[in-house]
Amino acid sequence: MKNLRGPYPAGKKPYGSSRRAASVVLAAGLVALGTACGSSGGASSTSSSPKSITVAVAYPSPPAAELAQFTKETGIKVNWVNIGWDDLQTKIAAAAAANTYFADATDVDWSKVGEYQKTGWFYPLNKYFSMSALKPDMPQLDTFVSNGDLMGVPFDASFITTTVNTKDFAKAGIKTIPTTLPAFTAALKQVGTANHMANPLDIQLATAEGLSTCWYQMTAAFGGQVLTSADSPNFTSPTSPGYQAMSWMVNAYKSGLVPKANINTTDYDGFTTEMAKNRVAAALCDYSGSVGSIYNVASSSSVVNQTQYVSTPGASGVGLAVANPDGIGIPKTAKNVAGAVKFINWFTSTQNQATWAGLKGPKNVVSTFPLPDRLSSFNLLVKAGNINDASQLAAILRAHAQAPFPNGAPPWYVQFSAAVQTNIHEAAAGQETVAQATTAIASTVSQLKASG
Amino acid sequence: MSAPLRGRILPYILVSPLVVFIGVLSFVPTVATTVEAFFRVMPLDPPNRFIGFGNFRALFANSVITTSWINTALYAAIGVVLSVVFGTVIAVALRRRFRFRGVILALVILPWALPAVVEAVIWSWIYNPTFGVMNSALHSAHAIGGYHLWLGLDRWLTIALIEVVQVWQITPLSALIILASLQAIPQELYEAAKVDGAGAVQQFFRISLPLIRSAVAVSIVEALVLSLNVFDQVYILNGIAPLGSSVMLQTYIQTFENLNFGGGYALSLLVTIATALVSLGALALLYRRTEAV
Repeated sequence: MKNLRGPYPAGKKPYGSSRRAASVVLAAGLVALGTACGSSGGASSTSSSPKSITVAVAYPSPPAAELAQFTKETGIKVNWVNIGWDDLQTKIAAAAAANTYFADATDVDWSKVGEYQKTGWFYPLNKYFSMSALKPDMPQLDTFVSNGDLMGVPFDASFITTTVNTKDFAKAGIKTIPTTLPAFTAALKQVGTANHMANPLDIQLATAEGLSTCWYQMTAAFGGQVLTSADSPNFTSPTSPGYQAMSWMVNAYKSGLVPKANINTTDYDGFTTEMAKNRVAAALCDYSGSVGSIYNVASSSSVVNQTQYVSTPGASGVGLAVANPDGIGIPKTAKNVAGAVKFINWFTSTQNQATWAGLKGPKNVVSTFPLPDRLSSFNLLVKAGNINDASQLAAILRAHAQAPFPNGAPPWYVQFSAAVQTNIHEAAAGQETVAQATTAIASTVSQLKASG
Repeated sequence: MSAPLRGRILPYILVSPLVVFIGVLSFVPTVATTVEAFFRVMPLDPPNRFIGFGNFRALFANSVITTSWINTALYAAIGVVLSVVFGTVIAVALRRRFRFRGVILALVILPWALPAVVEAVIWSWIYNPTFGVMNSALHSAHAIGGYHLWLGLDRWLTIALIEVVQVWQITPLSALIILASLQAIPQELYEAAKVDGAGAVQQFFRISLPLIRSAVAVSIVEALVLSLNVFDQVYILNGIAPLGSSVMLQTYIQTFENLNFGGGYALSLLVTIATALVSLGALALLYRRTEAV
């Protein structure tokens, strides 16, 4: 989930309006009105216009010329609505609960897949897209599958990774980045001393989605996943990867490896600023794409051409990377389902995915687009040689990116994530132990499973 | 239609569009929210069904929400007292005309004009434990030995510091309301008091304060409403941690994060009732006293 991309989480985009409290009450009231009015809104699906679709995503539009080409090919005009991630999630829930149309295609975050499958707010896309045909080319497709239903199609690829400042490491005499966490920890201490950095490591520890995601990533680095395939807790034993990951994160903070402020830095911009301003030398749980879109931007970064991606160090070797793609799906209240299917096909095609990432040059790039969702698009980019570290990223994507949960995000993911954030944050702040935190999270999982 | 009759009907015709607008956007959703607060409305657990006071019982049994009520009461208490006191001080200081008064007035208004999200982000940097201005200033003044992590460790300190941001934002409106009232007081009253030997303090307590009570009452209500609905500052500075959580943040979490719409409606209803009761109480009390003066 990207709810950390702005003052407020995908994610959390500088999310939020200045009059949010009033919006919450008004939105709640309007949703109540919608639900009280029954299902009359659903009838709107019969009044669809085959000539246009509305696409609502937390993403900038592709270049107008490209959209015009789509219109020329299909006769469908695209009304592109770019909404902040947080506001979009609220809008999706409010519109679905009130059974009201708001878009034909919209964001499906991986964290919402189970929720949408259970509530039936989105169409399963299995009959429109062949999972078996897409899977070999889209390594992160599984992230959008819940109980066999394909709830969305990834329209970019993103995964959690580690970024390091190679100049800082070199200054400490470290030319090869360690691949195990004990060696990486020792190296960071050396780097801190050599560069006069009090706290050389960036990890998110504030009560925000980024903290939950980081725990899933660190658990993967320790060789596991936090939930079993039956969605049961897999982190209560002190020897489990989830428990060990949480202990490592809390200790990293308490030992001073991580800046004190990280416990309250809820937005992703604040997190990446530490690296961009060279106040830290490494960032665990960073997003693929940060090097090109943040750290190599000369106007706002002092570490241009100094950072690079490395595979996250693990307990005994390189760890797996957790997938974090954006997806697009079709809400049940869509007016033009056929048009939305055509658009998703077009938007996620091999050629266009490579185009959004820079195949045709900067003029056709979709700004903030991280990586293509298809390996075939990567092949085009590697061949053209016009994306930073394309072959390295493609290799990580192909071999190491795994879905955060074995069975897709559960329907109660949001409450689970809230418990994760709150308890790890409190463990780092010294308000509870790691054992208490894991017990509390496990208890929440039991309650959530019991309540269906 | 006779002219007198037309004169009597015209005002109703003129206000009717506004009444319809408010009715559609405010009254109808409020009624719907009130009704649905007594239903279990959870898309993850359909169908919707009547559960009486079930949502309310669940809310009061939830320790995070009860904590958020206490926190919100503290936000309101601190917010009302500080914003009205500071607002009054600023208004008194700006009552007389002096050079650059307009510039200072504009600067005073600035925090009120900024979005709450922007203010919270600015203050998050001020409170930053590594390089924040607050640590730097206190350390330079030898008030603290080392840099501190201010937010997220101690509940009361976290609430106090978040409320500082809220007070910074809402004080300008109190100052403006009170300043407008101060400027309506005839200068002759002060001149007469001066002749009778009253000093500045006596003038304030014997003349100004009694005559601005209505404005103070309005300021209190304004501060109450804003403090009881505090959201942005809490969310930006403290995330969703229960430590400093507010009721409005919990309403958002219940409704749109947990998808417990019934619980969210019930909490919205309680916040609305609490805000209305406290505000009406404050108004009734202060306006009665004003009339008695």
